[in-house]
Amino acid sequence: MSSMFLKVFDWVNHRLPIVNTFERHLSKHPVPKKVNFWYLFGALASVVLIIQIVSGIWLMMPYENTEEGAFASVEFIMRDVDYGWVIRYMHTTGASMFFAVVYLHMFRGLLYGSYQRPRELVWIFGMTIYLVMMAEGFLGYVLPYGQMSYWGAQVIISLFGAIPYIGESLEVWVRGDYYISGATISRFFALHVVALPLILIALVFMHLVALHEVGAGNPEGIDIEKHVDEDGVPLDSVPFFPYKVLNALVGIGVFMIVFSIIMFFFPEMGGYFLEKANFEEANPLSTPEHIAPVWYYSPYYAMLRAVPDKLGGLIVMAGAIAILFVVPWLDRSKVASIRYKGIFSKIALVLFATSFITLGYLGTVPVTESRKLMSVIGTVIYFGFFFLMPFYTSLEKTSVPPERL
Amino acid sequence: MRLVSLLLLITFSSLGYAAGGAECGDYGDCDEFDARLLDNSSLQRGLNTFINNCYGCHSLQYSRWGRVAKDLDIPESILFEKLVFDPNAKSGDLMKGSLDKKASEEWFGVAPPDLTLVARSRGSNWIYTYLRTYYEDGSKQYGVNNLVYPNTAMPNVLEYYQGKQILGCKQVPSYASNGGVRRDADRNIITEEECGHLLLAEGSGKYTAAEFDTIIFDLTNFLTYVAEPVRADRERIGWFVILFFVVFTALSYLLFREYQKDYH
Repeated sequence: MSSMFLKVFDWVNHRLPIVNTFERHLSKHPVPKKVNFWYLFGALASVVLIIQIVSGIWLMMPYENTEEGAFASVEFIMRDVDYGWVIRYMHTTGASMFFAVVYLHMFRGLLYGSYQRPRELVWIFGMTIYLVMMAEGFLGYVLPYGQMSYWGAQVIISLFGAIPYIGESLEVWVRGDYYISGATISRFFALHVVALPLILIALVFMHLVALHEVGAGNPEGIDIEKHVDEDGVPLDSVPFFPYKVLNALVGIGVFMIVFSIIMFFFPEMGGYFLEKANFEEANPLSTPEHIAPVWYYSPYYAMLRAVPDKLGGLIVMAGAIAILFVVPWLDRSKVASIRYKGIFSKIALVLFATSFITLGYLGTVPVTESRKLMSVIGTVIYFGFFFLMPFYTSLEKTSVPPERL
Repeated sequence: MRLVSLLLLITFSSLGYAAGGAECGDYGDCDEFDARLLDNSSLQRGLNTFINNCYGCHSLQYSRWGRVAKDLDIPESILFEKLVFDPNAKSGDLMKGSLDKKASEEWFGVAPPDLTLVARSRGSNWIYTYLRTYYEDGSKQYGVNNLVYPNTAMPNVLEYYQGKQILGCKQVPSYASNGGVRRDADRNIITEEECGHLLLAEGSGKYTAAEFDTIIFDLTNFLTYVAEPVRADRERIGWFVILFFVVFTALSYLLFREYQKDYH
């Protein structure tokens, strides 16, 4: 029996590089042996991606992508489909948790200079994933066709209208109609379940291939390939499989506990994951008192509102995301990790994180004069972090990282 | 690590100052409502109140008769005999109500909304408070107004239960600028007249204030149930899922620690 299995395995392996791939990317792929919990969020993001794909496929089966049927079909899933509520809450919790882990993953990059040479492409692929995720999240949010789906889409699509000359026709092109309608839902559905997931998966693949080419970073921000044994394996590394897989498994376990607590006990997360107004069916004739995006977009929404002019707001918002792409070239520091950077980098990072979180809060509440002022200050700090980065990173006094992990 | 704790501190402190503005309109903060979704008799009374007083105008269009019967532990024969007034209704039918949406819009100005999800869109606290804050107001179409939802289009359907409530003035303790209650030389509390309070004309309704509160509690409880019929189930199952992942984490940690010995 076992020799039969080996024969078949051999036959396949001669035609498909199973062993080779397994060794190259898993059992012989060296990763730094000492990293901290910040290095788990990449693995967690791929776990959530799988959760989203699997739950998404099952949601697709009973979901109805029409103007009349969308909202009711979601309630059908919640009530009449066996364990439909599990699938749906998995998907809604997953959406927020996806952004939560990706934000932490990105912050890890800033913290330890993961984007620095030679990992610039890894960072750029990652940022592209983030961009596609934002589009994916927006499209998905429209599908249940609640009040906030409708009015959120109204706000976002109208942003296209702010673009000079082509704006208005672009808006119609995106909506597929002169107003948000069944045509909008069905095209958003196609993009949400087919087009963007395909792009997302391809990008994740590229992100990982590029990462495996240059190797994973570490919290010291040092190059472990400087010290290798006679076989060329870095001395401060362990094979990814089984060591790091087991490490990740513990992290995944803890993460799934948190995920389950939210999913089973606080699926609405106080209105942050599932907004109250979205339990009302979309009504084009009644604008909700207060339109707020879901929490993961709210920092950018606050920036949009901080600028009085719509086109200006759009440019600021797009710029806030675009500038993240060029971070590898803004950081001029000799060291990668925040541990060895100077005081200015540390202050800048704390200010940046504070402004991002504050903007995030401001984006979820109604505007007042003082909040508007705070949004402006937050936006200035946000951009200041990036624009001044070439200066504070090259001028400050850094300390010397150790040679080995 | 210091950086991390600082960031966590910032995150949580920013979550602390949640959305401002009074949740329950002119009433201020809503009265607290704690759902009792496992209390079937409360849910049954709530259903009874709903069908007899609300269902004439408000549908529960995403909910089905049979599901409600099953979840609330009501034999279907009894449900259909006592509470389903449509002789053609079947167990699997949605509770669509009998009011024509178009006609009702002409009659009332707005069609009475479907209430299946109102406990999720408005919140249970809101419903519990709203239904108890009607007061007499001759300037309105139905002679009543509401503190939580001023100028509400709905008449006070449950007035014959509650009785007449007016917005009036009463003596309340007065407070000093330091926040303490003011007292006179004999340590008696000094009161002052404050207006805008809901005052009930005792005996004008079928039930006492406390009984009426219970009726509204049960009704709100039922609406909370019907907005998310799986909630009790979800919380029950949740414990097992969490327990599974606790065991999973513990085992994978032990395995991880064993393997870690190879390189530590």
